[in-house]
Amino acid sequence: MTTNGSQAIICEDVKKWFGDFQALSGVSTSIGWGEVVVVIGPSGSGKSTFIRCINRLEAHQAGRIVVDGMELTNDLRNIDAIRREVGMVFQQFNLFPHLTVMQNITLAPIWARNRTRSSSEAAAMKLLERVGIPEQAHKYPGQLSGGQQQRVAIARALAMNPKIMLFDEPTSALDPEMIKEVLDVMKELAESGMTMIVVTHEMGFAREVADRVLFFDYGMVVEEGTPEHFFHNPQHDRTKLFLSQIL
Amino acid sequence: MVTPPDRSSQTRVPIWRNVVVIKWATQIGILVGLLWLGYVVITQATSNLRATGIPFSWDFLGEPLGVKLGEGFNTDPESGLEALAVGMVNMLRVTWSGVIAATILGTVIGISRLSSNWIVSRIANAYIEFFRNIPLLVQILFWQALIVGLLPDLTPEMEGPRWLFASPKGIAMPWLTPLAGRWQYTVVLILGVVAARWVYRRRIALQEREGHDTHAFAWSIATFAVFLVGGWFAHPAAGVLGWLFTALAWVAAVVPVIGLQLVLAALAVVLAALYIVRYLRRLRSPAGMAKLSDDDYFRLAVAALVGVGVMLFFVSGAGQATLSSVLGRTLWYQMNWGFEPLFDFLASRFDFAGGAPLRFTLPEVVVPTRFPQYSHEVGKALTPGFMAVWMGVTLYTAAFIAEIVRAGIMAVPRGQGEAAAAVGLRRGQVLRLVVLPQAFRIILPPLGSQYLNLAKNTSLGIAVAYADIVQVGQTIFNQEGQALAVFIFWMGFYSLVSLILSGIVNYYNRKMALVER
Repeated sequence: MTTNGSQAIICEDVKKWFGDFQALSGVSTSIGWGEVVVVIGPSGSGKSTFIRCINRLEAHQAGRIVVDGMELTNDLRNIDAIRREVGMVFQQFNLFPHLTVMQNITLAPIWARNRTRSSSEAAAMKLLERVGIPEQAHKYPGQLSGGQQQRVAIARALAMNPKIMLFDEPTSALDPEMIKEVLDVMKELAESGMTMIVVTHEMGFAREVADRVLFFDYGMVVEEGTPEHFFHNPQHDRTKLFLSQIL
Repeated sequence: MVTPPDRSSQTRVPIWRNVVVIKWATQIGILVGLLWLGYVVITQATSNLRATGIPFSWDFLGEPLGVKLGEGFNTDPESGLEALAVGMVNMLRVTWSGVIAATILGTVIGISRLSSNWIVSRIANAYIEFFRNIPLLVQILFWQALIVGLLPDLTPEMEGPRWLFASPKGIAMPWLTPLAGRWQYTVVLILGVVAARWVYRRRIALQEREGHDTHAFAWSIATFAVFLVGGWFAHPAAGVLGWLFTALAWVAAVVPVIGLQLVLAALAVVLAALYIVRYLRRLRSPAGMAKLSDDDYFRLAVAALVGVGVMLFFVSGAGQATLSSVLGRTLWYQMNWGFEPLFDFLASRFDFAGGAPLRFTLPEVVVPTRFPQYSHEVGKALTPGFMAVWMGVTLYTAAFIAEIVRAGIMAVPRGQGEAAAAVGLRRGQVLRLVVLPQAFRIILPPLGSQYLNLAKNTSLGIAVAYADIVQVGQTIFNQEGQALAVFIFWMGFYSLVSLILSGIVNYYNRKMALVER
């Protein structure tokens, strides 16, 4: 995989408003290749908006976002190119209910990468084995459990061979006993060297897998650091309050 | 320690409190009531008609009419039935072309309405509000007035061909004029579709076996193209069907009336039996036969009774008497239900003569007398009546379809479009591959009822003297006085068209249903 630029993602003073509500009020950070960054924060703190800006599901209104050496502008070609290199996994899975698991995974490689059906299906089978559900290939999403659906969603994102993966609360809509199977897949992915940004409430995952933790509030990065630093030696009062409520 | 309640007390329930008894009694009561009501209406109507001195009859179907029609495949029909056939075909012409045009226009406007381009969405909105809020009758009259009132009339100097004419006599445009070989060619094209489907399935099967792309779609298109091109030269071979139709016409001529009675009776029994078998099969699962509920028994009993009842009706003398009186004695024996003339007609169209099936022609103005008019041989002239009805129903229905399409697209969860964009699909692909297929499932049922509305609304063509089945029927009952017969014919025809349309829509609806757990 050829990567462009010294950093995977560079954000400089990114701002975003929804009407008169400011969702992001100046986010600056950069994420290196192979780094696993976990984003934590109370609801409404702008963490989802932040990662949705990285693949332009939301347009930022001020500041700069550079992904894989390409700046996100209004240029449709840049946006398409960045989306092809950035995979995303959603809280609600968002699998395509009218397509089988196999079709869900091969849709983008066939149409956006112009691969042949046979080569994308072979690749899809490998991905399904990687996430542990090869036997579900010809079922429809409606026939799978939540955990299985989320694993298919991860396989679907990986099918484009992305350089960066975004996870937007991937386990928040799952039953407790299914959370582990999804987290295991994500851990395996992190160990394989994938660049990942994960918005989550799973503190165990953050502690174990993250290289760095970003704590968001009021649309800003309030505190950042290694999990060590973040969980054991937080500097900010807001961080301390948050941790005292959840731990 | 809790003692279970004594269940034996439940077996002694008074009849008026027994749910099962009440359910059966209600259902049977309603059925008997309906039958009785039908019987009363029919006997009453028959005796009232007899009192007026114009006994109910279908004889006009077989008799000469002596009226010319405004347009159609035969403007000088020989019998009432032929005139009604012209009217039916005219109605179907407006309906199918209107359905297609309204679907395309409605989809485009519905999507435009959702466009982020402000001007496009405003224009779409204005279109919808304008056409939806004006009565269809007014719109049809308006188009008629526009065509007849504003377009310049044809003049003798315009004699000769052109690409397009627009005048109060209608719109004339280039057309693929059908020639004698078209019947054979149609058969070849139908075979082409069947062959293309077969090839497609074969290639898909091969692909699943061998695991590489077999270009199934391209193969099926190529197969059809072979028939399309090859059939142009080879279509006379389809003339063998002529022998088949000649044989069928002969069979229809010699088979006595009792044959048809027996066929209908057998059909009734077979359909009832099929229904029962299929119903029972549905209740069967690998775990064994489900216990039949009271409702199940009621359904099965009614199906069996109806089947046997209809069979008895057809084989009895009453069936023969009704059939021949409903169809008119002369018509019954002469036309043998119209099968013989139908097969004769088809046989005459299928021979081994060659000749092109179609020809591209430009419309032409001819001046046979002092008054210039469109040639019937070349091009396609659409009458003002047809144009007014077609534009009316198309533009009106498109406004409703646009709203249905918009609602369907909006009902697809936002996350679907986002997920499709996030995996790198372009905007058009997101719409085509992910959003529209899902919206289609939501759109289909209300779309079907808009098609029904369109089909039924074509009857407003009577306001602009468009020769559809309503106008022809009205001419007939003004002439023959058989109002009731004509009304029955109308109702039967519109019901049939509507049932076929909704049958098609329901078929697709079932096919497209999402697979859930």
